[in-house]
Amino acid sequence: MPKWAMAIDLDKCTGCGDCMAACKLENNIAIVDPEQADEGRVMLWMDMMTIYEGEYPNIKVKRIPKPCFHCDNPPCIKVCPVHATYINEEGLVGQIYNRCIGCRYCMAACPYTAKVFNWYEPEWADEFKTCMNPDVSMRMKGVVEKCSFCAHRLLKVKETADVDDRQIADGEYMPACADSCPADAIFFGDLENKESKVYQLSNSPRAFRELENLGTIPKVFYLSERE
Amino acid sequence: MMKYINRNLRDKLIFTAQYLSISLMWVFVIGITLWIINLIYLSVDLKDAPGISIGISLVAIPVFLTLAGILTYVFVGFHSKGKNNFINTPGD
Amino acid sequence: MIEETNKKVELDEALYRPIYETGKGFYLTVGVLLLIIFITLFIYIRQVYYGLGVTGMNQPITWGFYIVNFVFFIGISHAGTLISAILRLSKAEWRRPITRMAEVITAIVLAIGGLHPILDLGRPDRVLEIFTAGRLQSPLLWDVTSITAYFTASTVYLYLPMIPDIAKLRDRGGKMVWFYEFLAWGWYGTEHQKKVLSRAINILMVMVIPIAISVHTVISYIFSMTLQPGWHSTIFGPYFVVGAIFSGIAALLIVMIAFRRFFHLENYLKLIHFRYLGTLLLIMSLLWFYFTFSEYLTGIFGSEPHEMDVIFYKFTGTYAIFFWGMVVCNFLIPVVILAFKKFKTIKGILIASISVVIGMWLERLNIVIPSLANPRMGLETGMYIPSLTEWSLFIGAIAVFVLGYVLFSKFFPIISIWEIEEGRKESVEEVEKRVKSYLPGPANVTE
Repeated sequence: MPKWAMAIDLDKCTGCGDCMAACKLENNIAIVDPEQADEGRVMLWMDMMTIYEGEYPNIKVKRIPKPCFHCDNPPCIKVCPVHATYINEEGLVGQIYNRCIGCRYCMAACPYTAKVFNWYEPEWADEFKTCMNPDVSMRMKGVVEKCSFCAHRLLKVKETADVDDRQIADGEYMPACADSCPADAIFFGDLENKESKVYQLSNSPRAFRELENLGTIPKVFYLSERE
Repeated sequence: MMKYINRNLRDKLIFTAQYLSISLMWVFVIGITLWIINLIYLSVDLKDAPGISIGISLVAIPVFLTLAGILTYVFVGFHSKGKNNFINTPGD
Repeated sequence: MIEETNKKVELDEALYRPIYETGKGFYLTVGVLLLIIFITLFIYIRQVYYGLGVTGMNQPITWGFYIVNFVFFIGISHAGTLISAILRLSKAEWRRPITRMAEVITAIVLAIGGLHPILDLGRPDRVLEIFTAGRLQSPLLWDVTSITAYFTASTVYLYLPMIPDIAKLRDRGGKMVWFYEFLAWGWYGTEHQKKVLSRAINILMVMVIPIAISVHTVISYIFSMTLQPGWHSTIFGPYFVVGAIFSGIAALLIVMIAFRRFFHLENYLKLIHFRYLGTLLLIMSLLWFYFTFSEYLTGIFGSEPHEMDVIFYKFTGTYAIFFWGMVVCNFLIPVVILAFKKFKTIKGILIASISVVIGMWLERLNIVIPSLANPRMGLETGMYIPSLTEWSLFIGAIAVFVLGYVLFSKFFPIISIWEIEEGRKESVEEVEKRVKSYLPGPANVTE
């Protein structure tokens, strides 16, 4: 059983935000109007954390892309009252949009604030409607959504691999963010495959994970010499 | 009210209504029991920590059954010897 | 015999009056409340139509007024249990005029509180998913089970001691005799029926206490079972129960004072009742302060960074006014008023109770929002400004509570008539016997 994980090399990441844009386009995430965005209702599955440390003139700025970490011990699935968020055998934490009742308990329980909510019915300008992704289901108002490691791409790749009767090769299934990163800072692959890039990077001395002490066992590894 | 017409019929109607009310209580309690059992079955099926579901049901279901039982006990207790004594001392 | 019955009826005539006499005040009150409730309903339907965006909730503060009010209303429901069950269990005679008011508070407020999570849902049309695909592993479902159990138990516990009074209303005649006859379940006060009823009430009063304690403990688990700073605390279970009993007593005092004034029940709700409940309120205030102090001392001493973020937000940050307001309302004002006999008048107790109700609402606010507003990993602090929708639903919920209470007092006596009579006839001797049995002497003297 493959275990999908991601590794983000912060020493390569320039903080350009390409991954955020690619993710929004790939997954038909609603564009929130400026007023709502000011109120804090931006919908980003791949968020870019901007962390300032220190006082002027010794300010350190960190730009850290933050998708859902697809934890192996997710706090969000423990609290869902209707089994709308779940973890499958390949380690992907999924969200069933048709079952979610919008109680937002999973959002309150996630220590990484990785989940977003549809506060209104999602709307797009007419220009956007021509470039929606037909592979990703549209969500409606009142449901929670989050990064899915582009699971729709996994389904496609699986079909092809099944037809050819082979395993999925390393690098064949890549989420939109990993695909689009111009600095090649985002790696994605199977942790169970000892030869995959992600497995090797996860064992690098530069690798760390966010809030490991909480025991959530996140599957996004950050690589940085600084931390 | 129309029910003043026939004393006997009125008493019977009211007794039926009371009987229905206690039956509704049982419908409610059995409904909750069935719901909890459904959730236990789901949790076993999905291997989603079934121990917790069973633990909760062991406490919750007896509570509801006891409540329905107490109401039934009161209902039966009132109507069993109450009717006999009614002939002797109509109220106190 | 007939004259005696007439005299007895006249003794407690004041308790029957609200049922048989309807003044203009009643219609006006009900009219205004219904208007508020209809407007609230319209605002809620608007929220369902447009989505939860009409509230002030956002990322990261995904829970706001609805959850605050949910915890608040369910907290007030502990009034019924404490007074009715514990006082009955401890054979405290001063409970007699209070028990029914307390039990009614519980029944109404549980229904309102239990509806609030549904108001908070993004997809209320899917609430039946809880029945088809629910997960008992989620603290929210523990809540559903627990609140349903408590609602059922407290409704039964309200209804059973009401039966003799309903029978009195049935026998008096006048209005809606068929309604009272239906509800009286054939009670005629026979010896056998009295035994059955008292046995049932005795079993219930013991059962209700652990159910009630479980309700607010389970609500606290919604927060403490997550990993969030400020929530993941082992003290939450007892803390919430103490807070609930605290706010419940305060709400009960307010209701008692209101009815005493509007129904002229000065003979039934005397200063001594308020003084005793006031003492209980004082004890709960001190207990509440003890728990709060423990909670924050533990957090500050440990100085864990995320925990400190939340604590500073409450102590000196945006929520300082709400936090210290809560301490003043929950501790300073009640203790000053209730500790000194000079201030412990009915007016003083009213001020203390209103202060506690406001303070406990602030406490719920201080629990829900600051932990959500301070996410980990250096993310921006959130800001929550409740919208008109949320305020309206809050006011609407209070209106539903008042309306439910007013309607109850129109159809049923708000003070338990048969228990007052029992108190007059039997209790004085019983208590005398009991006290004599405590005093030194051979065991079989009083028997």
